[in-house]
Amino acid sequence: MKTRNRWILYAFVTALLVTLPYYTGTYLLSVAGTILIYLALALSWDMLLRSGQLSFGIAGFFGIGGYAAVLIFTNAGLNPLISILAGGAVAGVFALIIGTAVLQLRGMYFAIVTLALAEIFRVIIRNLPDLTGGPEGLVLPAAIFSGDSTSTFWLILAVAVTALIASEIFQKSRVFFALTSIRNDEVLARSSGINVFKYLVIVFAVTSAIQGIAGGAYAHVHGFVSPEGSFSLDFALLPMAMALFGGMHTTWGPVLGAVLLGIAAEFLKLQIPYGHLLVYGVIIVIAIILFPKGIVGTISQKLQAR
Amino acid sequence: MKELFKQRIWQWVLASLILAVALACWKPYVLVEGIQRSSLYAMIALPMALVLGIVGIVNLAHGEFMMLGAYLAYWLNVHFGMDPFAAMFPAFIAFAVIGVISYLTTIKYVLGAPELNQLLLTFGLAMILQQLANLVWTSQPLKVHLGYVSASAAIGSFSFGTFEFVYVAAAAILLGGLLLFLKHTRLGQAALAVGQNPRGAKLVGINVDQTYLIIFSLSIALVGAIGAIFMTRHSIFPLVGGAYTLKSFCLIAMAGMGNLAGIAVFSLILGVSESLVLSLRGYAGWADIIFFALITGVIIVKSHQRQIR
Repeated sequence: MKTRNRWILYAFVTALLVTLPYYTGTYLLSVAGTILIYLALALSWDMLLRSGQLSFGIAGFFGIGGYAAVLIFTNAGLNPLISILAGGAVAGVFALIIGTAVLQLRGMYFAIVTLALAEIFRVIIRNLPDLTGGPEGLVLPAAIFSGDSTSTFWLILAVAVTALIASEIFQKSRVFFALTSIRNDEVLARSSGINVFKYLVIVFAVTSAIQGIAGGAYAHVHGFVSPEGSFSLDFALLPMAMALFGGMHTTWGPVLGAVLLGIAAEFLKLQIPYGHLLVYGVIIVIAIILFPKGIVGTISQKLQAR
Repeated sequence: MKELFKQRIWQWVLASLILAVALACWKPYVLVEGIQRSSLYAMIALPMALVLGIVGIVNLAHGEFMMLGAYLAYWLNVHFGMDPFAAMFPAFIAFAVIGVISYLTTIKYVLGAPELNQLLLTFGLAMILQQLANLVWTSQPLKVHLGYVSASAAIGSFSFGTFEFVYVAAAAILLGGLLLFLKHTRLGQAALAVGQNPRGAKLVGINVDQTYLIIFSLSIALVGAIGAIFMTRHSIFPLVGGAYTLKSFCLIAMAGMGNLAGIAVFSLILGVSESLVLSLRGYAGWADIIFFALITGVIIVKSHQRQIR
């Protein structure tokens, strides 16, 4: 696609999304909002994946961001929007600490530590009832913008666009080339003078901060946080399935996956209230075995082969 | 290197023995309960270590296979009145078949793939099994009531449950059996060779693919059978297995790859410290965080060691 055409397309899609509240109902708007939250999570997850490191900690940072945003809002009385950013910062700092501790030993060690994160954060939250409300969670006096669906949608759209811009900047920066070389051959990357550890920690912190911001926005939109709801497996499993289905290591793969699977998720939730997550497990397994590059990767490969 | 390694293990054994004696004087209940708890951990971790050491795959669905084994034993108990200990045998056979199917349909295809794909695949498998259980049995916890599980004994004024010593015995049998299998049978020796160097093993005429298939299925069969005795004392629900996968990996990481005996030693540290924290009034909720602290500590120590080398 020519660059000019591409910009026209972006402008068109952006205009469509920004004006979406004016010609859709509240239900469709909330579905679109959910999809955009998952889109931000899928993109941020994929950004770390591009370095060859696998984090299962999405739900953990999502929940921590939500809790931090709610606590900062209620205790410090800050503007809700600032508290959402602060929630992201808290998640980022947590990731910085954990990353510094465990990213020296990568691969399965890192993956399993992050797999435990959601559960560990949940245990901590449950055991500090004075601060976090314990198992019951915390309820905000009112949802953000007093629950106005248009402003709420714009907020979530802003979060998703932030993730999108971060991912695109990322694809064109030094960090991206450093990370790709780490994924392809770590020894080679190391010997060409790349500080592998530093880059990995930075990217882990940044992507976790994005997940924290998404969590903070989600918490403010829904007006409550709870150990079961905020750290729910949904927030790890769905984004992963979306990114894999769409195509790893690209910006547009996770976006496409999030839109397609997000729409499918709405139907599934109504059809199978319990156990609809089964479908995402199946999608992950099939994607890994049959088309590890996802839809976007497989199609672009076919196009190049022609 | 090997000598050094042995020495380190003995240091650990000695240190834990001293701690154990101290604990026995202070809180005997914690020690007994901790040993029983750690046997369960060791028992579940051993088949996972087998797969990781020989097939080279972290099976994140390991705990889920145990959970399904527990459900199978529950079902056999409720519908046919079968005792969980008898149910171990049908569970073993059923899960050997399930292991073969899982290997042939999924695991086989990622053996040569990047580690990341392998982890994602087994994670996907774990989700499938977990949600399948959720669909069939819902998230309602289930429990069988067996008379003999509440057996107890007393030493002086101190009384404790004796049934869980079954776990200690089972863990010892499993460890002994696996070591015998690996060292003294043709298949076990072949499996060890494959674990050390698949290409070399292939060169000397070992059927590597077949070995992978057998070891993976054996691991699943074992953990399915363990599920049957797991449910004698624990309630079962779809999410019950996840924590055991993580704790198993924690033990394997602490012991080092391929060190089955080490798993038994380190499971004591995990089990006893968990039951110690559980016994502290007001702090019991923090017990679930210990394995995370241990695994993080191990990773920090290991990466430190690697930098020095």
